[in-house]
Amino acid sequence: MLNNNTGPVAKLYLSIIDDVIESMRELFLDEGLEDRVLDDLRHLWEAKMMQSKAMEDFRKNNINSSNFVLQLPASYSRTDQELTASVVIPASHNIHSFPMKTNSETIATFSLPAGLSYPVQIPAGVTLQTASGQLYKVNVPVVVTQAPAGQPLISRTMQRVFVGREAPAPQSSTVPPKTTRPQEVDPPSVPAFSLQLPRHSQVDIPPCQEKSVPQPPQVPAAEPSQLQGARSPEPDINLEENEQSPQREPVNLSMNASPCSQLLEQISSEEALTQTAQFKSRDIDDILKEVIEEEREKAERARNLAPAKNDNQSDPVLGLDLDFNYNELSDIVQLDGPAGNSDMEEEEGGPMEENDFLGIINAEAIKALQEGEGSSDGNSVSSSSDSEGADLAEAVEEDPLNSGDDVHEQDIPDLFDTDNVIVCQYDKIHRSKNRWKFHLKDGVMCYGGRDYVFSKAVGEAEW
Amino acid sequence: MDSSNDEALDIIITNVVATFRVRCHLNLRTIALEGNNVIYKPDCGKVLMKLRKPKITASIWSSGKIICTGATSEDDAKLGARRLARVLQKLGFRVRFSAFKVVNVLAVCSMPFSIALIDFTMNNRPIASYEPELHPAATYRIKHIKATVQVFSTGSITVTGPNVQTVATAVEQVYPLLFECRKPLRK
Repeated sequence: MLNNNTGPVAKLYLSIIDDVIESMRELFLDEGLEDRVLDDLRHLWEAKMMQSKAMEDFRKNNINSSNFVLQLPASYSRTDQELTASVVIPASHNIHSFPMKTNSETIATFSLPAGLSYPVQIPAGVTLQTASGQLYKVNVPVVVTQAPAGQPLISRTMQRVFVGREAPAPQSSTVPPKTTRPQEVDPPSVPAFSLQLPRHSQVDIPPCQEKSVPQPPQVPAAEPSQLQGARSPEPDINLEENEQSPQREPVNLSMNASPCSQLLEQISSEEALTQTAQFKSRDIDDILKEVIEEEREKAERARNLAPAKNDNQSDPVLGLDLDFNYNELSDIVQLDGPAGNSDMEEEEGGPMEENDFLGIINAEAIKALQEGEGSSDGNSVSSSSDSEGADLAEAVEEDPLNSGDDVHEQDIPDLFDTDNVIVCQYDKIHRSKNRWKFHLKDGVMCYGGRDYVFSKAVGEAEW
Repeated sequence: MDSSNDEALDIIITNVVATFRVRCHLNLRTIALEGNNVIYKPDCGKVLMKLRKPKITASIWSSGKIICTGATSEDDAKLGARRLARVLQKLGFRVRFSAFKVVNVLAVCSMPFSIALIDFTMNNRPIASYEPELHPAATYRIKHIKATVQVFSTGSITVTGPNVQTVATAVEQVYPLLFECRKPLRK
C-alpha cells in the first residue's frame, strides 16, 4: 500500500497501523481467529485511511507531479485501455489507479504522471477531477494542453486573448483546434499551475501562433461544466466567435463550457484596450476570484450531482481555494504558517488542570466528559425555566431573565461545527487582553480535509 | 457638569465594575467545560467569562458571586450582567439575578492645561498627596463623596468613584483647584 510518493503523514499512519496490527496478531491467534481476519482488518483499515486521505496524498504528490486526476465512470472501465493509451503519451511513468467506491459507481481514478507531455487527449464522457476536488465532465473529446509555468503565463495568455481579439484576420484555418504545441511544454516547474490555467480558461497559446481560434476550443475543453443546460453557453460562444474568427469547428461550439467562455469574454472585454504590459501587473487575484466564484457554483452542482467522494472536501476546499491557488502558484505546499482563526478559537476552552492534559477540542468529547458529571448539578434547563417565574416574587429588585437578555446564540453552534480540528498537547497558552498565543506540541491536525502531524506548533489568535 | 468656564470637559468613562449574585451554587468545572469563551482558573477558584457584545469580563465564583468588569457605562454593566446570568441559566443553573451593584467607576478627563503638581499638593495639603518616587501623579481624595482623583502633570486626570454621578461631581470639584495650579504658557 505504500506508494512511491507517500507523504510523511501517511508514513506515520501506516507505521501506526503496522504496530497495532502486529501487536494484535497474538491476541487474535489466542482468541482463535484466523490470521486472515487480521489481514482483512488491516486492509480495510488501510483502504479507509487511504480513501479519506487519498486525496491528500494525491494532492501532495500531484502538486509535485500533476494534479490532474481522471475519474472514469464505471462504464468506462473497459475503455480504460483506450483512455490509457491516449492519455499516457510517454509511457514512462506509472499510472496510479485507485479504485474507489462511491455511492453507486466504482470510479477509477488516474493521476496523470509527472512529466507527462501535454497536450493530452481525453475522450468524451470522462469526468475530470482536479486536485482540489472540482469535477469537470468532458462531453466531447478534448485536448488539454499544459500551460507553461509561472506568472508570466497568465499575462502571456491574456496577451493572446488580447491579441486574438484585435487581430481576427491573421487567424488561419490552418490552425487546427487541437494543435499540439510541443514547444510550449517546458517541463513544468509548476505543473500545478498548469491546471490552474486551463481551469481559468487561459490555456496556453504559443507565442508564435495566432491563438484565438484554438483558444476557445481549448478553453471550453479545459473547463467543461457538469450542468450544461443551466448555463447559456451558446450565445456566449457565438458572441465571442463573431468577434474573433468565423472559422470554428462545430465540435467546439457544442461544448458547453460557459464559465470559461464567459470568463474569457469578460477578460477579453475588460482588457480590450489595456496594454500588454498591464496584463502582467493585472492581479491574478481578479482572475482567481472570478474563477473561484464559478467553481463554487460548479462544486455545488458537483456535490449535488456527482456521487464522488469529495463531499467532505468541496466545502473546505472552496473556502481555501484562494489559498490553494496561491500555494500552487508558488509550487509550495504550505504546511506551516499562521494558523486559521477557527482552529485557534477552539482551543482556549481546554481545561488546564495538568500540564500534559490532552486538550480535546471536539464538542462531542466534551459532552461525553460532562455526561458523567451531569448529576452533580442537579439542575436541568427545563427546571430552571420553570423556576424562573416562581422565584420572581421573593428577591428584591429582581426581574426575570428572559430571552431579552440572550447573548448571541448563533455563534455557538457554528463554533464547534467546523471540521478543522487539532488534537494535541500544550506547552503554554497565553493571553493578553484579547490576544492569544499558543505553544503546542505533539499533535495531529485535520485542516481542510488534510491531516497534518506536528511536534511543535505555534499559533496566534484574536478573540 | 462643567466648571464655571464655558469650555466643556469630556469625561470619558473607561471602566465600570459591578457585582451581582445568582443566588445559587455554581459548579465551576461545568461552566468551564460547557461555557463558551471561558477561562478556568482553578488556582484562583474562579472562572472568567468574556462577553463580546457589551465588552465585559466576568469573574465567576462557585458561591454564585460574580464580578463584572470592563463595561463602559452603568447600563452596559447591568445589561452585561443580565446576559451573563442568562448564559449561566442556559447552562442549567437555577440563577436568580439579584443584588446588582455598581461598585466602581473609572473615568479619565483631560485638562486643556498642564498642572504644577507640587503647587497643587502644597495648596491642598491634607487632601492631596504626592510621592513622585512612588507614582507620577498626585492623589486627591474627596472623602465625603468617596472619590479619588489622580492628577498628572500633563493635565490628564483619572477619577474613580462608586458611581458615575460621583465622578462627575468630583471633576467639578477639582477643576478650580487644578485651574489655580495650571502651568502657564501653552496648553
